[in-house]
Amino acid sequence: MYLQQVLLKVIETATQKYGACYAEVRAQKLYKTMFTLKEARVEAAKQGIEHGVALRVLVNGAWGFASVGSFDGDILLSAVSNACVMAKTASLQLKNPIKLASANPVIDNVEVKSKKNPADIDMEDKINNLLQINKTIQTYDPRIKSCTVDYLDLTGSNFFVNSEGTNIHQDKMFVWSRVTASAESSGVFTFSREEVGSTFGYEVFDVQPPQVIGEIVAKRAIEQLSAKSLKGGKTPVVLGPNVVGVFVHEAFGHLAEADLALSGGVLLNAMGTKIGSDLVTFYDDGTVPGAFGSFKYDDEGVPAQKTLLIENGVVAGLMHNRETAYKFNFQSTGNARAEDFRVEPIIRMRNTYMAPRDYAFEELLEDVKFGYFFKSFRGGQANIDGTFQVGIQEGYEIVNGEIGVPVRNASISGNTLETLLNVDAVGKDFALDSGRCGKGQIAFTGDGGPSIRLSEVVVGGSA
Amino acid sequence: MVVLEKNEVLSIAEKTVQVAVAKGASEAEAYVYEGYASTVGIVLGQVNKTDQLIDRGIGVRVVVNKAVGFAYTNIVNDQNTIKDIAARALSAAKASKSDIDWKGFTQKKNYLSSLDGTFDRKIFEISSDELVMLSHNMLNSAAKVDKTVLAAEGGVGKAYFSNAIVNSNGVYGFDKGTFIECSLATLAKNGNKVTPVCFEFNAARNYKIDPAWVGKEAARLSVSALKTKSIKTQTTSLILTQFALQDLLSYTLINAVKADNVQRGQSPFKGKIGEKVVSESLTIYDDGLYPNGVKTGLFDDEGIPHQKTLIIDKGVLQNFLYDNYTAKKEGKESTGNAVRAGYLSTPIIDTTNFHIIPGAASTDDMIQQVDDGLLVYYLQGAHSSNPVSGEFSVVATPVWKIKNGEIVFASRDVMLAGNIFEILKNVKIVGNNERQVGRLIAPWVMVENVRVIGK
Repeated sequence: MYLQQVLLKVIETATQKYGACYAEVRAQKLYKTMFTLKEARVEAAKQGIEHGVALRVLVNGAWGFASVGSFDGDILLSAVSNACVMAKTASLQLKNPIKLASANPVIDNVEVKSKKNPADIDMEDKINNLLQINKTIQTYDPRIKSCTVDYLDLTGSNFFVNSEGTNIHQDKMFVWSRVTASAESSGVFTFSREEVGSTFGYEVFDVQPPQVIGEIVAKRAIEQLSAKSLKGGKTPVVLGPNVVGVFVHEAFGHLAEADLALSGGVLLNAMGTKIGSDLVTFYDDGTVPGAFGSFKYDDEGVPAQKTLLIENGVVAGLMHNRETAYKFNFQSTGNARAEDFRVEPIIRMRNTYMAPRDYAFEELLEDVKFGYFFKSFRGGQANIDGTFQVGIQEGYEIVNGEIGVPVRNASISGNTLETLLNVDAVGKDFALDSGRCGKGQIAFTGDGGPSIRLSEVVVGGSA
Repeated sequence: MVVLEKNEVLSIAEKTVQVAVAKGASEAEAYVYEGYASTVGIVLGQVNKTDQLIDRGIGVRVVVNKAVGFAYTNIVNDQNTIKDIAARALSAAKASKSDIDWKGFTQKKNYLSSLDGTFDRKIFEISSDELVMLSHNMLNSAAKVDKTVLAAEGGVGKAYFSNAIVNSNGVYGFDKGTFIECSLATLAKNGNKVTPVCFEFNAARNYKIDPAWVGKEAARLSVSALKTKSIKTQTTSLILTQFALQDLLSYTLINAVKADNVQRGQSPFKGKIGEKVVSESLTIYDDGLYPNGVKTGLFDDEGIPHQKTLIIDKGVLQNFLYDNYTAKKEGKESTGNAVRAGYLSTPIIDTTNFHIIPGAASTDDMIQQVDDGLLVYYLQGAHSSNPVSGEFSVVATPVWKIKNGEIVFASRDVMLAGNIFEILKNVKIVGNNERQVGRLIAPWVMVENVRVIGK
């Protein structure tokens, strides 16, 4: 109750004393448990407690943002005064003042009910559970040289209050782990990575048991030892759901973030334009239960939704916050997210995926005389002009419609607007993987889709 | 702004160590951080936002039965949270496993009293009005270059930070610094044609930045990328600018010289000290004392004094980067390369200022010596490199074609693929134009025989 009063006072000060036309505060208490396992060694078992407030004011059309690691009323009032004064200074030569699309005020209390709340599980049990991954990897093959497991669980509370009457409490719940392994044989080095994540709770390790994760990572590291380098050039490719997810995220998702579209991106005036084959339908969806990019309200207090981005090849929508929605005469799609109280909310993806169609996996392969099947990615990056790159950590040749020998260190690239037209078959399978996306700050996301075939794409290789 | 004084920061760290030892830690170490940052932001060609960040916290590492536990908090004013955080670190250590290779925290060290050029009171005192003015200078200078230029994003920011490290072996250190940066990401737009993003920046520990140059240079690069031609698939020479080098080396060469990767068999440099591993035209130091360096400071994040470590001498591998743990495992001294992400993390091995020693060639000389090649600024996807083998497959966009010693046109969507360790054996020219980008201080470098995949 006390914190609520302080937050309301901060908002009142901004709007009444400094003339802010909008003010919001986001107060968080966060609890983290983390550890890193290197081979059979626990490098450090870590626990953290943080609290802090992010406040944002709109004064004369300019934003003032401040982050303070304190709930102290005097400190917060001083921070909001500074933010208002700084925003006013920044606004002096403003030609296009920032305005916000309207949003309905929301009062809600969102509690997470995990089957297994990580806060209730002893750290020692978590360490012992995840050490099974390392054991699986290290005993898989003597050519395995190293394995690293990083674990994080984040729980806590998020209070959001704004000057329009929105007042939301939401629980925070993230469980995440990244597993990597390296292998070496006669001077050839390989590296393999897998990530798991959930907003349900620790039960994610019942769905993806440690031994299973360990085996996937170890098998790939060993198989890649005998993989061959590939020749670069244009070829047909079949992409598995894991690669399709990152392809949708990098090749299209970033371009459909309205802030990047406004920065001169290729989708700025593309609404209703056909940019992909009829088989291309993409969503960005914050409502998938338990998925790593799901939440009920975004960091501007707007409900998350399932946003249609492309339908049958035609651009159908962009991802908005309230600021960009105003410029497009639209409503926010609930994509404003902030990593924590240290940073401002910006437009981020949630769970971005391609809708499945009707091909069996074998049918995707059967017409390919020579090409590649790319099953798993290692990193990807987008550029505002539509250039994308997706690195591949697991790939195979396709010869006469059959999966052939493994290939190493490939990547695909091209321009989104050309490449989406080359989607000529889409599978009926589907998977959504957990990922993390960097845009100055980290966001937890889901990326996924079915297996697909591209009639051609540029493949990078060094042979 | 009111910052904590040296004795206050040290006293918080000291108390935390005392509480942890009193509660049963066989050893304890506390790291206290305080940072203030103030930024004026540019979006779509106008100054329209400001950011202020006040962040302080404590990270405490304890040892119980050779098992390491760590806890952090950003609540530093309350005696109870210090007790709570020490208790949490101890419970984490008890949940952990004993490590037979644990040989204790850093022993007491002596530090220089201060380093020139790491703290500038003028940065400390810059007003937000001045940050706004610098931002407008940068924007105006970009706009003057050409009417096709759009300043997508950027800003001017300043920061003050201090940290203290204290442990139960007598380590007792305090350091503080300032930092200022201006940056601009621009593109050029002509009708339907949009260039990829080009980027420039200036960063310094003292108040020496040139926002007008940053704006002009970012805009110049963008405009020169408006008209493009395609490039054929070929094997060719590249001039790698500092941006490209930083991207390519961060995920490959730098991993290979970290002692933990070497000890764990995930570095191709394992067992190669004294051997020629790259071209003899390359000499590389890790230099935590480099004047005005972005990562320059008195000591590392475990209290080891910063030093200048020779990594590669004329192509021959000389040393690896160590923290306290990996050094003691080999009976060596740490090279002062323990790095934390503030108070929230335990230290890991990283570079300080990774310094490729410049050569004699000017940038014009370098371009003139290329018959057929590419000038590479910006890469996409370098983080998808294989961090162990050094293999990469990335996009360079925009990129500039060099023919007979002259830049002839820009191109886009060019892929570069290869192995960074092979490419570093083919360095032909090292430039004289060094600058710092992130943790890397380097000049331009010309390499031969790189696979380029065009259209």
